[in-house]
Amino acid sequence: MEKERIKKPLLFFTNPCILLRNNRFLKRKYDKGESQIQILARKSTLELEIDRMRTGKTNTRIEILLSILISLVCVTGATGIGWVFHLKGFPETNIVIVYLLSVLLTACSTQSYVYGIAVSIIATCAFNYFFTEPYFTLSVNDPTYFITFSIMTITAIITSTLTSKVKQSVFAAQEREQETSAIYQLTNRLSDASDISEIASIAVSTTSTLLNCHAACLCFTEKGQPEQSFIQQRDNDSQARRKLIDIEETKHRIESLRTAYAVGPEFYDWPIYGRESTLGILRIPKETAKKMNEAQKSLLRSLIESTALAMDRFISMQAKLKSQQETLQERYRGNLLRAISHDLRTPLSGIMGTSEMLMDMTDKDEEKHALAKDIYQDADWLHSLVENILSLTRLQDGKLTLNKQKEAVEEIISVAVAAIAKRSPEYEITVHIPNEVLLVPMDAKLIEQTLVNLLDNAVKHTPLGNEISITVREDKEKALAVFSVADRGSGIAKSDLPHIFQMFFTTGGKGPDAKRGIGLGLAICESIVKAHGGAIEAHNRTDGPGAEFIFMLPMEGTDYDK
Amino acid sequence: MINKNEYILVVEDDMQIRNFICYALKHEGFSSTTAGTAQDALSQLANGQIDLMVLDLGLPDLDGMEVIRTVRGWSEIPIIIVSARDQDKEKAAALDSGADDYLTKPFSATELMARIRVALRHLRKSDARQGQAILTVGSLKIDFEKHLFYSDGAELHVTPLEYNLLSLFFKNMGKVLTTKYLIEEIYGIGHGTDTQALRALMAGLRRKIEKNPAKPRYIFTEIGVGYRLVDE
Repeated sequence: MEKERIKKPLLFFTNPCILLRNNRFLKRKYDKGESQIQILARKSTLELEIDRMRTGKTNTRIEILLSILISLVCVTGATGIGWVFHLKGFPETNIVIVYLLSVLLTACSTQSYVYGIAVSIIATCAFNYFFTEPYFTLSVNDPTYFITFSIMTITAIITSTLTSKVKQSVFAAQEREQETSAIYQLTNRLSDASDISEIASIAVSTTSTLLNCHAACLCFTEKGQPEQSFIQQRDNDSQARRKLIDIEETKHRIESLRTAYAVGPEFYDWPIYGRESTLGILRIPKETAKKMNEAQKSLLRSLIESTALAMDRFISMQAKLKSQQETLQERYRGNLLRAISHDLRTPLSGIMGTSEMLMDMTDKDEEKHALAKDIYQDADWLHSLVENILSLTRLQDGKLTLNKQKEAVEEIISVAVAAIAKRSPEYEITVHIPNEVLLVPMDAKLIEQTLVNLLDNAVKHTPLGNEISITVREDKEKALAVFSVADRGSGIAKSDLPHIFQMFFTTGGKGPDAKRGIGLGLAICESIVKAHGGAIEAHNRTDGPGAEFIFMLPMEGTDYDK
Repeated sequence: MINKNEYILVVEDDMQIRNFICYALKHEGFSSTTAGTAQDALSQLANGQIDLMVLDLGLPDLDGMEVIRTVRGWSEIPIIIVSARDQDKEKAAALDSGADDYLTKPFSATELMARIRVALRHLRKSDARQGQAILTVGSLKIDFEKHLFYSDGAELHVTPLEYNLLSLFFKNMGKVLTTKYLIEEIYGIGHGTDTQALRALMAGLRRKIEKNPAKPRYIFTEIGVGYRLVDE
């Protein structure tokens, strides 16, 4: 019933583009305040759109006929009224005004301004024919009438064009409003979707209804690869998944796309672009796509835009959720590691002390001495692992508050160098420090640990007798203290460079005698330097073999952002 | 010479560590007794003839700091602190409360024995050293009467502040002097915990007496705690 009422006014309008909007406009006029009917009407919007497409041509013809009829009725009516005025002996001005009114009415009730102008001219002619002497001819006795005619015509034309213009701008505004509302409705539906394929499914069904075809949607995986299958509309309410046969070809077609859509063997493919990557393809069957007009294309673009937004939102929500879970897991793991590490510390001290005692008590050539030494070394290794884990979990939790004070660089270096000298006395470490005292704000204990880790790393990768050096200089321009630990060892493999600061990363491919690494040392260095607002980098030396680790600490309280 | 019949009290709640310390002490020729709690330690100190105490800061019943303060109330015996690595603040506080030295876990028995020997030697020497006008370490020499300082036999010009610093170190050879203690002694109480001036002063002094400031031979930095003049 409601639908009937809404459909009828359709016929008055010529422009198929505005048709859909007018429909709703009129519907609103009828049903103002009746929300239920409005909802019903909104739902039928798509159907109306289809109706328009099916019956578009007939509508246009009927509308033209109707407009002509209205124009004729207006002119005839005005002439009739004018004739009555003429018989009653009213002044001719009144008749002119009546004609002008007829022009205005025509302009108001027809779509195109052509009718208004036509009626203007006809009205002038009719006035001339019926009401000026000699009557019933187009000739005029009094030449002053020409002035009347021209003013009348001009006034009529201006009136009719103005009216049409106002109407058209009203339509344009409605058009925009309706477009927004259509997208809003679609977005509403899309935002309820619980996963990507549901979004795709909604997009497919909406597109299919809008364009009256069997549209399809192919989603892309997170890695930007097309999925194995795509969703296609079957009949009114059913959808099916079809296997994608030419995956690579489809992908290539979209990647090398320079225009709005790609032409495939069965479908025209419209890519759905997300913020970062292509999220999928909306596929319109070839026959439908070929026939699409500008309005439909624009509608389709808006639809794709909404779909992309919905998919993007879904993906970012998913990513957020995932990272939240990861953080939680990370925290649990950190807590566990810390608890275990803490309890390992004390017994390890005991094992190390006892095995060291055993070593002292036995002769160096004895088998027992070697065994005790093995115990000691393993315990030592385990101990440094435990300490590193403790440092790292504390650093990464952000629980470790930096105890920043201005420290003399040489003191920190001397302690670090002494620690390495104690552990690996056979290595000689060269130190270069500036002559003037360099006081840098830092947490001394942590920076010492950074230096020890870097030196330890250098010792591990440098053959005995080769140079290991540590250099500090001040970059006055950038207000940075630059620390560099360089060695003449094997250097860093290119493939390892990007991962070198990752947790539990150790360089692989070494022989059985390789010195054991834990893969935490450099990660700790990075965490410490970052906590200081500094930056750390690793690269191979350009002046020969070996690696160089450089870290920079801000000289003032300000953070150094790379 | 060191009298190896010194009686040493080991206060440590972990049995393993306690055992190996005792074993090392026995190996060195010291006599020792142990305590697992602070209460036990305090009663043993009150009763017996303890010459030196090795004290773990993390005791189950009482804070190690409390033990030091209580002991310092009636006794001047050397106290050597044993602590975990991340207890720098406690270490410094323990030294300021009167502890003589500290070691960080895990420590080697050799290291502990060396520290014990130094502490015992100080105990005996400190009275003798008190009256001495001239002290030497390596090629460094200080003359308290003339207020002069020598390096490699030649007089070395030092500022009054540097001289004060040096005299503190020479009077406490081998002992860790905390940053807080040094600041109070040199700049006076109320200077706060601003370490920057001390760091600069130390750096200046180091450039005068050390051949390579980054590889010192005489004054060592104990990060987060203080400084120590080597004892030879």
